[in-house]
Amino acid sequence: MNLDSLKETFLLECEELLENMEKYLLTLEKTPDDSESVHALFRAVHTIKGSAGMFGYQNIVSFTHHVETMLDSLRQGKVAINSDIIAALLSAHDHINLLVDIDTGRKEGAVMNEKVAALGEDILQRLRGYFTKDTNTPSIRDSGQVVAVGKTSTPSNTAGIWHISLRFKPEVLKDGLDPYSFILYLKKIGELLSVYTVTDGLGDLNNTDPELFNLGFEIELQSAACREDILSVFEFLESDADIHIIAPDATEAEWNSLYRNLPEGEARARQIIAAAAAQSRKREILAADFRQVVSTVREKDSSVAENNRTAAKEEAVKKYIRIEAQKLDHLINLVGELVINAATVKQLAERRDDSDLQEAASAMSRLIEELRDNVMNVRMVQIGETFRRFERTVRDFSRELGKEITLEIEGGDTELDKNLIENITDPLMHLVRNAVDHGIEMPAEREATGKPRQATIRLNAYHDTGSIVIEVSDDGRGLNREKILAKALEKGMAQPGHAYSDNEIFQFILEPGFSTADKVTNISGRGVGMDVVRKNIENMRGTVEMETKTGKGTTFRIRLPLTLAIIDGFLVSVGENFYVIPLDMVIECVELSEEELAGGGDFLNLRGEVLPFLRLREFFQENTEDDGKRSVIVVNYGRHKAGLVVDSLLGESQTVIKPLGRLFDKLAGISGATILGSGDVAMILDVPRLIEKAIAKQEASHVR
Amino acid sequence: MLDNVTNTVARGDSTTLGQIKAEDQYLTFRMHDEIFGIAILRVREIIEYGKVTRVPMTPAYIKGVINLRGQVVPVIDLAYRFGLGSLNICDTSCIVIVEVQDGNEKIILGVVVDEVKEVRGMALKNIEAAPDFGARINPVYLSGVGKTKERFILLLDPASSLNIEELSDFAAMAEK
Repeated sequence: MNLDSLKETFLLECEELLENMEKYLLTLEKTPDDSESVHALFRAVHTIKGSAGMFGYQNIVSFTHHVETMLDSLRQGKVAINSDIIAALLSAHDHINLLVDIDTGRKEGAVMNEKVAALGEDILQRLRGYFTKDTNTPSIRDSGQVVAVGKTSTPSNTAGIWHISLRFKPEVLKDGLDPYSFILYLKKIGELLSVYTVTDGLGDLNNTDPELFNLGFEIELQSAACREDILSVFEFLESDADIHIIAPDATEAEWNSLYRNLPEGEARARQIIAAAAAQSRKREILAADFRQVVSTVREKDSSVAENNRTAAKEEAVKKYIRIEAQKLDHLINLVGELVINAATVKQLAERRDDSDLQEAASAMSRLIEELRDNVMNVRMVQIGETFRRFERTVRDFSRELGKEITLEIEGGDTELDKNLIENITDPLMHLVRNAVDHGIEMPAEREATGKPRQATIRLNAYHDTGSIVIEVSDDGRGLNREKILAKALEKGMAQPGHAYSDNEIFQFILEPGFSTADKVTNISGRGVGMDVVRKNIENMRGTVEMETKTGKGTTFRIRLPLTLAIIDGFLVSVGENFYVIPLDMVIECVELSEEELAGGGDFLNLRGEVLPFLRLREFFQENTEDDGKRSVIVVNYGRHKAGLVVDSLLGESQTVIKPLGRLFDKLAGISGATILGSGDVAMILDVPRLIEKAIAKQEASHVR
Repeated sequence: MLDNVTNTVARGDSTTLGQIKAEDQYLTFRMHDEIFGIAILRVREIIEYGKVTRVPMTPAYIKGVINLRGQVVPVIDLAYRFGLGSLNICDTSCIVIVEVQDGNEKIILGVVVDEVKEVRGMALKNIEAAPDFGARINPVYLSGVGKTKERFILLLDPASSLNIEELSDFAAMAEK
């Protein structure tokens, strides 16, 4: 482990913690009394501070220190959570993120300057405003003010070691005060380096009055606070204890006066304080080991506790290994090649009259299949994490626009290929922004139409016949057909007087430069976005559908293939060529002769059901001779069923998708190619788009 | 014949090449009765015409795809694209595998030819700009015309004749 890789780990950890921080803040906004989230929030900031400290990232440390302090009073229930606090803490989150950029040099050009410092101070001031209003613990405010971030780059260095001598009056307990809590409270303004208990006044334990408090304490406190701050901690104790505070920069004379003033007498006092100092030094020596032990224990504690907790919260902390994505891709490629080779071996084995060989070959095939499934699984990631990122987007943008929107998330545990997740984030962002900006009405407008003020945007993901469907829906005003058509006419995209179907109108909004927004906001309306959405999704072999009801809302439905690398396919032949149909789409196969297919147009009577079919031989313009035998493959795509007429059925095969490359980018209906065991190339059919294309072609011929 | 050429390409020397630098060397081949040349640095390899799998719903200048050691490589019929008519596959038919720059990516393409001729040097002084008319081929596809004792060699400009952007725009190409 060199420093770079440690730093890498720190960055990853930070990213995760910041993500969590944001998540917890958003949770708290909805359920302010969720104490688990408060604790988790505190832990996240605390860990960031701790790790940053290890690397000496002072800007992060000093800022997070203050945030942590405030979160602590949140944790102790001293301050009630409200949306202003959440907002301020969210800005604090963003600021920490910025400081991480600066301190680690993650982003080039990010430097600590006065502007950043002022921004940080601003956020802290805002926070302090909330945190001091409802609380009468001035020490928090004071300590905050003394350690001003930005003015000094290393405030923690200015924290000196204070010595505090406490001698409680024996009646302190009878007065209803708990000395322990005062010492504990010191932790808020600094770090307790050592607490040495003075037992001189205890006397004979057998004869002691348990209601009397006969102990004294010598305390070393590392704190940046001033004398008044420390004194104020003991405000209520003034009449119940002798308190001596020795400043870090105290002179010998001050110490001498302390020795003289302690009740144990000067000589004994020197002994006591020497003992206290020795304890403190010993502690320092042990500190390193200690910290390690504590952190290990804490880690264990927190992971155990978190496990229990999160089982209910469906975010179990699992054990992860971070792997370079490239390594994984390479592995998947290799397994892909292996699958092809295994198919070859199996085919060759089947040609020989050797049952042992065949058995071995098929056993190997089975294992390789399993291997493939497992390897593919490694790359599967739950989409929930991606979805949750939009909570912040929706929250921020809806506020900016004065709208009230909640984001509902469903199917967060749906698994997607990692590559798909990466590519889907941008399109989803555009759709969500569009929904917030265009889809959802202003609260007043909603009330006027009898809808609840609070609008809902829903993100949903689920599996459906060999693809993954991701839906972005809103309960807003729906798309305005007329407005879109008018705009399309204005832009010259549509022909006047032509009757357009809903779907055709929808296609307009996916065109580059198309926006119906009356004014351009900085959220959307600049006409970029929807075409990007379409392009990105098409690049993933996916499709976008849209449903809209005026006044009721709009749903965008993105349909994506399960994975980009391997599919289970059904091999067929048309003419001299082979084609693979994704197996998830195949419902059944029917063997028919040309005579049976002839007559009655391109429909087939499938057990009383009308099944439209597509003759691939004609559609692909295969002119080779054949015996007239035909088979129909009944496929299911989305909510439709159709038949594909092919020459012959060759059975199931596992297929490694080989991209056809840029040259075939614009070829709809074929999603890729694959190499068969025989070395032949077969095309993989993109059934939905193939049928779409066939329908479009048919419609075009009807027009003529 | 093919072996000779491949060897020549591999060794990068030969009596015909003399002192000429690699940049000035061209692989020459025949499509119908025209002789073409393509800069040797673009050529990856030459393979015999084998099984080419047709890709349905593509224009005729896309011959199909081949399995090149596990990689699916498209094969282009440049003769058709140039308006010379489709090539008929015969014994001497070959596929010249070339590398084309597309943005930041290098794309591997196959070009089907009737016959591969030789690798020959072509000094700059023997190369002239493609004539605006007179040739049967649109001069935008040519980087120039090389003069030899026997005949003219049409030197292909890969950037335009094998422009991926243009080749992939099936709808536009079909209209042409």
